[in-house]
Amino acid sequence: MDLEFSEDEAALRDNVRAVLAGICPPAAVRAVFEGKGDPSSVWSRMVELDWPGLGLPEEAGGLGMGYVAVALVAEELGRAVAPGAFLATVTQFAPALRELAGPTDLLTRVAAGEVTGTVALAEEGGWEPAAVVATARETADGWLLAGTKRAVLDGGTADEVLVIARAEGTRGDEGLGAFLVEGRGLAATPRPVIDPTLPLADLALEGVVVPAGRALVPPGAPGLAEALERAGQEATVALAASTVGACRVVFERTVDYAKVREQYGRPIGSFQALKHRMADMFLAVERATALCYFAALTIAEEDPRRAQAASMAKAAAGECQELVARDGLQLHGGIGVTWENDLHFPVKRAITGDTLYGNAVHHRARLARMLGLAA
Amino acid sequence: MRLTFGPEVEAFRQEFLAWLAENRPSEEEMAAEPAVSSGHVPDWAGRWTRRMFDAGWLVPGWPPERGGRNAGPVETLVYLEELTKAGVPRTTNPQGLGIIAPSILDYGNEAQIRDYAMPVLRGERAACLGMSEPGAGSDLASLSTRAVLDGDSFVITGQKVWTSGANYADFCFLFCRTDPQAPKHKGISVVLVDMATPGITVRPIAQIARPEYPDLNEVFFSDVVVPKENLVGRLNDGWAMANGSLAHERGMVWLSGVLGLERQMAAVLPEAPAALARLAPAERAVVADGLVQSAIDAVAARCLGYRGFAKLVRGGSAPEQALMKLFTSESNRRLALRAAELGGDRAVDIGATPDSDETWMERYFITFGGTISAGSSEIQRNIIAERVLGLPR
Repeated sequence: MDLEFSEDEAALRDNVRAVLAGICPPAAVRAVFEGKGDPSSVWSRMVELDWPGLGLPEEAGGLGMGYVAVALVAEELGRAVAPGAFLATVTQFAPALRELAGPTDLLTRVAAGEVTGTVALAEEGGWEPAAVVATARETADGWLLAGTKRAVLDGGTADEVLVIARAEGTRGDEGLGAFLVEGRGLAATPRPVIDPTLPLADLALEGVVVPAGRALVPPGAPGLAEALERAGQEATVALAASTVGACRVVFERTVDYAKVREQYGRPIGSFQALKHRMADMFLAVERATALCYFAALTIAEEDPRRAQAASMAKAAAGECQELVARDGLQLHGGIGVTWENDLHFPVKRAITGDTLYGNAVHHRARLARMLGLAA
Repeated sequence: MRLTFGPEVEAFRQEFLAWLAENRPSEEEMAAEPAVSSGHVPDWAGRWTRRMFDAGWLVPGWPPERGGRNAGPVETLVYLEELTKAGVPRTTNPQGLGIIAPSILDYGNEAQIRDYAMPVLRGERAACLGMSEPGAGSDLASLSTRAVLDGDSFVITGQKVWTSGANYADFCFLFCRTDPQAPKHKGISVVLVDMATPGITVRPIAQIARPEYPDLNEVFFSDVVVPKENLVGRLNDGWAMANGSLAHERGMVWLSGVLGLERQMAAVLPEAPAALARLAPAERAVVADGLVQSAIDAVAARCLGYRGFAKLVRGGSAPEQALMKLFTSESNRRLALRAAELGGDRAVDIGATPDSDETWMERYFITFGGTISAGSSEIQRNIIAERVLGLPR
């Protein structure tokens, strides 16, 4: 197992970081947080650079660089606290579309950056397909949807929303279906959230009718739960990587600050109590980073450990977030809790990334089942 | 990044596995005479070390005349993994093979290499490392054991403590003060001392787990006369070796930390479902979560170690390496306690079980050896903060 970047991977990472420094500098991030920014220009630039198709196979119009490239971009997006449609479109919508329907014209258009998308999966009951209660009923006009989807990333702006709903009277992994709905045809309620670079919306499905041709997978077709699970692993690891990228920035800024902030006539970073906390922050960041890369590799190489690895990466990213956000804020003292200091942007990005697609506790509970430690 | 190494590495793995199957000591041999201290080399272990030496499998990265085959670091990694998977100890005198022999090869003269380093590599002599003292633990440079040059001999007086394997070892790689006037880092030398020399008293220290098998010792030196040609390297230049010794120790020690953690995890997982079923329903998820966190630690340790290793192999620096001792030793301790707690009221039992020489609670106590020795967790955090993160002293 070789978990260090190849030359190509390192070059991609450097390139992505340089691009984001240009299109998403701290002032642009602040503008988004203060409601004055326009994330669409960030996404336009990503499209010009072919980022939407990075990981998709060439027959689907992509660059064929595989999932590791996608995860590296996601990490850099977290590092820059970058807004834009990448996470929802490239790491949630595209994998689901590919797993459910293979190469299609729509997937080609996604790869080209012509269409943005997202997946409406979560409901009150959580992030597992088995917990879906939204329903789809076949009528003469098409499939009639009912229910409410929660915390859909880019749910108010995506061109296409892949809605997961089930046949009435079914439960668990049985009876699930997947429906393509135009975003503008959905009643989206934007959620007031701590991090506007990851905008969430709740979607009311009541009265939405999906024509038969846009029922990507009709309810009850075999294999849907497994396909969603696989796509969900890609979304999960990308969010883990984004979270870790944001955590690393918080950590680096904290160390830098501790070197220059003086009290009692010496830098606060010379106090052992703080040194030890920063050493533990460093370990948490590196632990989660290594697990993210491993999980990305298991996805890229179709390794049977991918389900466990994805949950481990997400759990570790969440644990890292808890420690690094807390101690990063704490070690900055009063300046850390001011709006004027940029520290809270990556902190909020990390906490949001932990929350979406299941936080650390959610993924540890999944792991308990996978390891035979829970029913 | 990729999950597997190339075909040439796999071919190397197969070559070693084939040799191992033919030559490894049997389970019966090992069980008949277990090593009871890190200075104890039972007959089977001596023969096994010699077989590895002769076949170039003892230290694969070294040249054949030193028991190797000039293998690269990736091959060495594969070799250590397969040896651990097979359940065969590479040596029962780890400080001899891992620290002392390499240090003598680096710093010693021809006679010292012939009479001390090579016999260790052939499984004929066992060595112990005389570093810590009652007044010099983490602050090793404060050591006060004196070696006074008197004609053709050093006369050594003082006390060492926590000396692993001194109760069985044939000789000691002894750090002592040869210039009490110099600043503390500059007056230290290393002398090779045969443990049978008159004036040496070894007093084993019973530990809180398995007190009947002491490995740590107090070693008292009272006017011990040692020929001056037993000085390793230059006079008063021993501090460089203290750092060098630990560098040898840390070279691949991260891997034994990882493999140890994985082995413990593999041992607890099969026991866990039945143990969880005995708990009250409300407790199960909480206890299971603790085990899950340890399972994540075990995979993370492997990933972190391999990532740092890959950076080193490519000639870069690897800050991950500085984290490995802290991470694996602390993880090991957490896991042992969680595993013990799984036993409910059995958590406090001691003694052999059908699967092991000791219970999880005894292992828990033993894991403190990992978090205290060779740079305690607190010293590790200082090192990470100052040398890796660049925080001011």
